[in-house]
Amino acid sequence: MRVVDELIRLLGVENVKFDPEELEKYSHDETSGVEAQIPLAVVFPTSTEQVSMILRWANERRVPIVPRGAGTGLSAGAVPTKDSIVVSLERMNRIVEFDEENMTITVEPGVITGEIQKIAEEHGLFYAGDPASSESSSIGGNVAENAGGVKVIKYGPTSFHVLGLEVVLPTGEIVTFGGKTLKNVTGYDLVRLFVGSEGTLGIVTKIILRLVPKPKCAAVLLVPFRDIEDALLCVPKVLSQSGVLPASIEFMDKASSEMASRFLNESIPNPEAECHLIFELESTSKQSLTREYIELGEKLMQMKALEVYIADNRTQRMKIWRFRKAIAEGIIAFRPTHCMEDVVVPTANMPKLVVSAYDIARRFDLEVLNFGHVGDGNVHVTFLKPDGMSDDVWKRSLEKALEELYKITVQLEGNLTGEHGVGLKRKKYLSMFLQEKELALMRSIKRLFDPNNILNPGKIFPD
Amino acid sequence: MNFLVLVKQVPDTEKVKIDPISGTMVREGLDVTMNPLDSHALELAVSLKEKLNGSVTVLSMGPMNTIDVLRDAIALGADRAILLSDSALAGSDTWATSLALAKAIEKLNIAFDLMICGEKSTDGETGQVGIELATLLNLPVVTYVSELIELGSNFVLVKRSIEDAHEVWKAPLPACLCVLKSVAEPRLPTLAGKKTAMDAKIEIYDTESIGINREEVGLKGSPTRVVKVFNTKIARNCRIYADKDILEGIERVVGLIKAVRDGEAK
Ligand SMILES: Cc1cc2nc3c(=O)[nH]c(=O)nc-3n(C[C@@H](O)[C@H](O)[C@H](O)COP(=O)(O)OP(=O)(O)OC[C@H]3O[C@@H](n4cnc5c(N)ncnc54)[C@H](O)[C@@H]3O)c2cc1C
Ligand SMILES: Cc1cc2nc3c(=O)[nH]c(=O)nc-3n(C[C@H](O)[C@H](O)[C@H](O)COP(=O)(O)OP(=O)(O)OC[C@H]3O[C@@H](n4cnc5c(N)ncnc54)[C@H](O)[C@@H]3O)c2cc1C
Repeated sequence: MRVVDELIRLLGVENVKFDPEELEKYSHDETSGVEAQIPLAVVFPTSTEQVSMILRWANERRVPIVPRGAGTGLSAGAVPTKDSIVVSLERMNRIVEFDEENMTITVEPGVITGEIQKIAEEHGLFYAGDPASSESSSIGGNVAENAGGVKVIKYGPTSFHVLGLEVVLPTGEIVTFGGKTLKNVTGYDLVRLFVGSEGTLGIVTKIILRLVPKPKCAAVLLVPFRDIEDALLCVPKVLSQSGVLPASIEFMDKASSEMASRFLNESIPNPEAECHLIFELESTSKQSLTREYIELGEKLMQMKALEVYIADNRTQRMKIWRFRKAIAEGIIAFRPTHCMEDVVVPTANMPKLVVSAYDIARRFDLEVLNFGHVGDGNVHVTFLKPDGMSDDVWKRSLEKALEELYKITVQLEGNLTGEHGVGLKRKKYLSMFLQEKELALMRSIKRLFDPNNILNPGKIFPD
Repeated sequence: MNFLVLVKQVPDTEKVKIDPISGTMVREGLDVTMNPLDSHALELAVSLKEKLNGSVTVLSMGPMNTIDVLRDAIALGADRAILLSDSALAGSDTWATSLALAKAIEKLNIAFDLMICGEKSTDGETGQVGIELATLLNLPVVTYVSELIELGSNFVLVKRSIEDAHEVWKAPLPACLCVLKSVAEPRLPTLAGKKTAMDAKIEIYDTESIGINREEVGLKGSPTRVVKVFNTKIARNCRIYADKDILEGIERVVGLIKAVRDGEAK
């Protein structure tokens, strides 16, 4: 109990939890197939100073620290290492400042992403970061993973919205990077380095986010196709030829929409279709929006869409988005033994990747479903353990299937993970995608910030 | 078989905000949309029309931006859309609203076998207009309809939901139904539907063309006076059992379950 006693002395008993039932909740995130690990204790700092105290203490005592937001991660980034202390940022959830004139909002890391979206909208502004988990994930977790989501083609991933950070380094020092300016080339861009660093370089304690004007009106198109390749071939054409940049282009195959339908207990239009695409268009007036969706809709009909459904009010838009957002939840609820991947390829190579994913699943007798952010070439190829397959066979087949999937991804000039991160889940495949020198540089950056390797050790880098 | 669906325009928002001083709804900056409950009524009518042939007419009373809502109804399969709009109608309560709508139906001689209303609007939420309208038109009316079982050539058979049971009602046609969500799940409009709606003619009438006496409607014709609007605070007596008193909590819950079961046994 020594470590725990010291933590209690440091933070007060109300900010430390160590009873086994509580610890269990912090032993995993939402990643399937990664073994849970019970930490020694979970601490709940309420201020930057407390975070600094914890890290200084841990660095001296050489105790491993695992930062944690809301625990919705899909790469096991917040899964504790052996004998570690989890630092949960959930009580650091204040809105520090809303600066309407500069269109920024400054928040603590524990704020739930959806709350930031709501506050911005109440002021006629818009926070464009929109992971499908926005109702449950924390902004600190979004920053640490450089979360993407459904609006990346138009607005970019989380890194595009982060202007400044306050960070506590593994030594306990408190530093700030960036600020409220929209551009800044005063030295290296350490903000960008920290966004996506998966809690391995420092703990983020404050975030300055950029807001943009709220789109005046939006329409969502739900577009069923008989043939998956036809659907995917549309995407690069729409992007390069239609003259409008949709805010989203999403894809869900038949198995994915069936999963969502089951989770929501609601049927999707044209359930017989092999897949559905979803487009979101934004515009400054109803008239221009109508013109744009009719133009796009007609083009899609020419490109072999079975039908084009158009939702231009909130109720209807939400009806379509609910299907897309329920897929991952459905998988987690109904098929807990699965492997959700996050490969990303240049948009035009998408059809080849998806076709290969079905082929790989067939070869190794696995079930597969494909869904994701096709507008930016990011598909969540998800292998499911078929009923009746033994755990052993599942593990072996999955391993081979993943290797094949990654080989093809490399051939298609793609990458290992587009938004979920490496964490524990994917670290052994890192060298398939990075050159030796790249990996060596990354390791030296880690050493520079965390000489004693106390912060989220064992993540990202292959053992 | 001909259908008349009553649709109201409501603000397109999740949370209705009430101005604490005037006690009226904050509508500024909000888009309008079809009362979500009315879209279930419309779906019921359109799906029945597709099966039985005939036509669907939608009728609404509201400001001019209601045109957008009526176009949406056309995109979803309505054949004819009628708007009753006039500054004299502003401030109408359920009585005045029903009176104006009833006069329009009579004057325009809208033929229908079944008139379908939503359960209630999401803003006014009184759930009165359908019933008052049926009464003024001297039609049989069934409220809280959860399912349409059968539509015959001269009758309609429906399930009506009451607190903890269902009733089955048969009404002669023409009749009025005030329907719950479960009657039909609204479809999404298609591209073709949207295009039809863009060019569709929306018929617009004012009080004069319908022959409504301006004194009978609007604020003047409304016997309802909203004296005060306020948020009711629902205070629940929530007791959390944790740590030391957890066993007491478990006992209490078990006791409650037992009490319910005993009650059911009797
Ligand atoms: C905050 C507030 C203040 C108000 N102030 C006043 C006031 O000062 N004076 C006053 O007289 N009234 C006032 N009203 C009430 C009035 O505006 C009602 O909203 C209106 O009469 C319709 O009733 P309802 O919305 O309750 O519809 P409901 O009776 O709930 O609607 C049932 C169904 O009837 C049909 N229907 C309802 N309205 C229409 C319509 N316009 N066109 C076509 N079909 C329709 C739809 O099918 C609907 O689903 C106020 C309401 C609120 C919420
Ligand atoms: C149903 C569902 C849908 C999802 N959809 C998407 C999607 O569309 N797009 C997408 O990108 N992701 C998605 N995700 C994944 C996940 O929600 C994101 O990765 C999210 O950013 C994680 O945030 P979190 O607060 O839950 O972080 P956690 O899981 O708690 O932590 C994630 C990582 O961030 C680190 N971390 C957390 N807080 C801090 C901090 N303050 N400082 C430093 N490091 C920190 C942790 O150590 C860990 O490495 C989805 C997940 C689920 C369950």
